[in-house]
Amino acid sequence: MLPSRLRERLRGLVGDAGIVDRREALLVYECDGYTLERAVPDLVVLPATPEEVAAVLRVLAEERIAFVPRGAGTGLSGGTLPVEAPVMVCTSRLQKIESIDLANRRVVAQAGVVNLWVTRAVAAAGLLYAPDPSSQTACTIGGNVAENSGGPHTLKYGVTTNHVLGVELVLPSGEVVSLGGAVEERVGYDLTGLVVGAEGTFGLVTRATLRLTRAPEAHRTFLAVFDSVEDASEAVSDIIAGGIVPAALEMMDGLILRAVEDAFHAGLPVDAGAVLLVELDGPAAGLDPQAAQVVALCTRRRAREVRVAADEAERALLWKARKRAFGAVGRLAPNYCTQDGVVPRTRVPDILRAISAAAERHRLRIGNVFHAGDGNIHPIILFDERDEDEVRRVLAAGREILEACIALGGSVTGEHGIGVEKIAQMPLLFSPSDLLAMTSLRAVFDPEGRSNPHKLLPDAKVCVESRAPRRQAAM
Amino acid sequence: MAESEAIDGVVPRSVVEPATIEEVAAAIRDAAERDLAVVPRGLGGHLDVGGPPRRADMLLSMRSVSRIVDHQAADMTVRVEAGCPLSRLASTLAGAGQWLPLDPPGSEATTVGGLLATNLAGPLRASQGTARDLLIGLTVVAHDGALVSGGGRVVKNVAGYDMPKMHVGALGTLGVIVEATFKVRPRPALEAAIAMACASPEEAGDLALALRDACEPLWLEIVGPDPAGSSGDLGFGESWSVVAGAGGVTEEVRDALARYAETGGARVLETEVPEAAELRARIADRTLHPLGATIRAATLPTRVGAFLGKLSRSAATRGVSCRVHAHAANGVVRARLDGGESLGALVADVRAEVENEGGNLVVERAPPGVKRTLAAWPGIWGDPGPGLGLMKRIKSTFDPADRLSPGRFVC
Ligand SMILES: Cc1cc2nc3c(=O)[nH]c(=O)nc-3n(C[C@H](O)[C@H](O)[C@H](O)COP(=O)(O)OP(=O)(O)OC[C@H]3O[C@@H](n4cnc5c(N)ncnc54)[C@H](O)[C@@H]3O)c2cc1C
Repeated sequence: MLPSRLRERLRGLVGDAGIVDRREALLVYECDGYTLERAVPDLVVLPATPEEVAAVLRVLAEERIAFVPRGAGTGLSGGTLPVEAPVMVCTSRLQKIESIDLANRRVVAQAGVVNLWVTRAVAAAGLLYAPDPSSQTACTIGGNVAENSGGPHTLKYGVTTNHVLGVELVLPSGEVVSLGGAVEERVGYDLTGLVVGAEGTFGLVTRATLRLTRAPEAHRTFLAVFDSVEDASEAVSDIIAGGIVPAALEMMDGLILRAVEDAFHAGLPVDAGAVLLVELDGPAAGLDPQAAQVVALCTRRRAREVRVAADEAERALLWKARKRAFGAVGRLAPNYCTQDGVVPRTRVPDILRAISAAAERHRLRIGNVFHAGDGNIHPIILFDERDEDEVRRVLAAGREILEACIALGGSVTGEHGIGVEKIAQMPLLFSPSDLLAMTSLRAVFDPEGRSNPHKLLPDAKVCVESRAPRRQAAM
Repeated sequence: MAESEAIDGVVPRSVVEPATIEEVAAAIRDAAERDLAVVPRGLGGHLDVGGPPRRADMLLSMRSVSRIVDHQAADMTVRVEAGCPLSRLASTLAGAGQWLPLDPPGSEATTVGGLLATNLAGPLRASQGTARDLLIGLTVVAHDGALVSGGGRVVKNVAGYDMPKMHVGALGTLGVIVEATFKVRPRPALEAAIAMACASPEEAGDLALALRDACEPLWLEIVGPDPAGSSGDLGFGESWSVVAGAGGVTEEVRDALARYAETGGARVLETEVPEAAELRARIADRTLHPLGATIRAATLPTRVGAFLGKLSRSAATRGVSCRVHAHAANGVVRARLDGGESLGALVADVRAEVENEGGNLVVERAPPGVKRTLAAWPGIWGDPGPGLGLMKRIKSTFDPADRLSPGRFVC
């Protein structure tokens, strides 16, 4: 338990509105989008300004207390799970877009700003913020920076790190450092590039300078319908190998299609084996020749139909169906979890076969809705958490799928992060000297290991294997 | 050792040329045991970038560690050893209709390792980004000879810290880059460019942004006038020129050029310059081999015109000849400054101008004598900003004995 003197000191800094310490209220913070493990923090602090964040972290530094940064809690790898960290520092009150510079295409946003708000703020000027996680109506810029988040359109436009020019970081010592900035060259090491994707283990990001992108002048969006997942994934390989860079190239399999159609009535073909959602964008002049090429490639792989979105409303409906697919799956089973492996793009057919083999072996239902153009899979495993045996099978299948990704030359996470979930796979991807370099880098920013401890890096203290399944992560 | 092996005037005591990554590791282990300072070299095209080394006992030539290890054309990735020249990589990729769209100054004399260590970029950055945006995996030999990798072989990957970024632009001060994996892109079917002339740098700055807004360019350069008495390198003569490049399928390129022509109006010089890609390379090479110094300034895109004006006036006042170009959409200006007595004062003056507005200015390259003078004042790097403390800690963590290119970088 935290000493009450500390609670009162923190309350003094952020006021009553910035403190959550009632048991029922704390329950909200027991997990993020990764629900297989839960732990309630002792105290949640909600600073209202970057300066308050620094003040809070200084007090925690004096008292040597570990903390977990948290944005909207939509993370999918358990990054916000408190593990030997009693205090959670949540950015949800840091909601200001501090400056917008349209001519230079820059925005400075506080960490708690929701991803989509940035695009909304600049849309009238024909600009957007390119990284578009499917959770973009809820997830925060701080969370995006921490996870180096992607999204459907990052195939063409790049992920978060390609669009963050600078960050303000409050180190675990409470010291505030401003890294990078509005200009495109820096002097010295690429510290901003290191902070992006550090999963909150370097301290708390309070502000970020983001690069804006011109909104595409035109789109060609189509839905290619296939009888089998194999044909759809061969078409993905052909499109990439054909030298086309679609803005997005997403796949949904039959199980997902039916769930999404039930939820949104987007007119999706519920009897299909899989669909590809393909979007080309840019100036209208170049789009039609490329669109014809995509259609031809899909047809060659036996697409039974290629539907073109006739207008913006139809396009919006297709994207709504895609971006809310995870939510729709909620109707199929009490619980689901998703994996985030990556394979070289030509190996998508192989990994999909491995996924269905794992589903069969472990008697599980697994749907697939994913960023096929990047080779970034998202098998969604359905289960009921009250069934202990099924939970064990879910974890085993997840592990096997990730190990299959590694065997195919890929990685265990394309955008959701390692968090607590995938720590056990880190030694399969990296050698002891690779991991040592990462541990040393962490110590540069956080020598005492107090910012989001026991995440991302395997450490001797917490034996990962023994924790799963359903370990008690709390202290 | 021969003078020709000198780095900023420092002649190394030995030159080692390993043939494999394992031999690089062995050489570094050996250097560690004997406390030798190591400076890696690719083709030597950019050894004049950075601060003068405090010591250079072992020059590590990477020329023979140069295999293209694995080009997966259908996955659009390539893994390549650090000593591979960009030109050789380019021809392999071209065979599959692909490119690594990075066009640093002196591209012909650049290896993959040199490109990453210097983080040089050229006109294509307007649409393609810089090395950090295309690098997906990296292996370095650490100060103690250990092989350390980060990232991987897939185009999207957030497993672990983004260690490759730490080495991009680090001038070999945190490890010796031995192998890199990139995502590559389809090479545009067609590349073309249009050139326009403006009366002043300020007008050129405004026109460039208007072109950017008319249609996203493949590249977008402002080219300053040929310095008086110099042989014109690009043939644009006395005016401030704006050159916009377009790439893609024919329809796309035609459409872009038409929009640029309309935006430029009477200022259009050539509606389609011949050999656009070659012109792009010549613009990138414009500031190489300075007699004085080549500087690189970063400012906001809207400030480029004013900065170019200030720079060229300050140079003229001081009798310094100035050959300049700007990556207009990126706010990055490169200038080769030759002659004149007061180069240091000029650098200090224009640096203050950009730093005041949140930008930065570095002395990118200079002959040894000039560089030592500038290193003493006003400095090669200017103000690295509030991150300097963390940078020093990174350096002492990854190179505790200060033996990897000591003195070459900000810390
Ligand atoms: C339905 C759904 C769809 C999704 N789709 C995508 C997708 O398409 N692409 C994708 O990449 N992700 C996706 N995600 C995952 C998730 O939304 C992203 O990882 C997102 O960036 C998390 O943001 P958040 O604000 O919710 O962060 P949180 O979940 O609160 O935190 C995530 C991590 O970031 C750290 N953190 C948060 N804020 C800060 C800060 N200010 N400073 C330092 N560390 C911080 C936390 O400690 C934690 O480790 C999806 C999630 C859901 C639920």
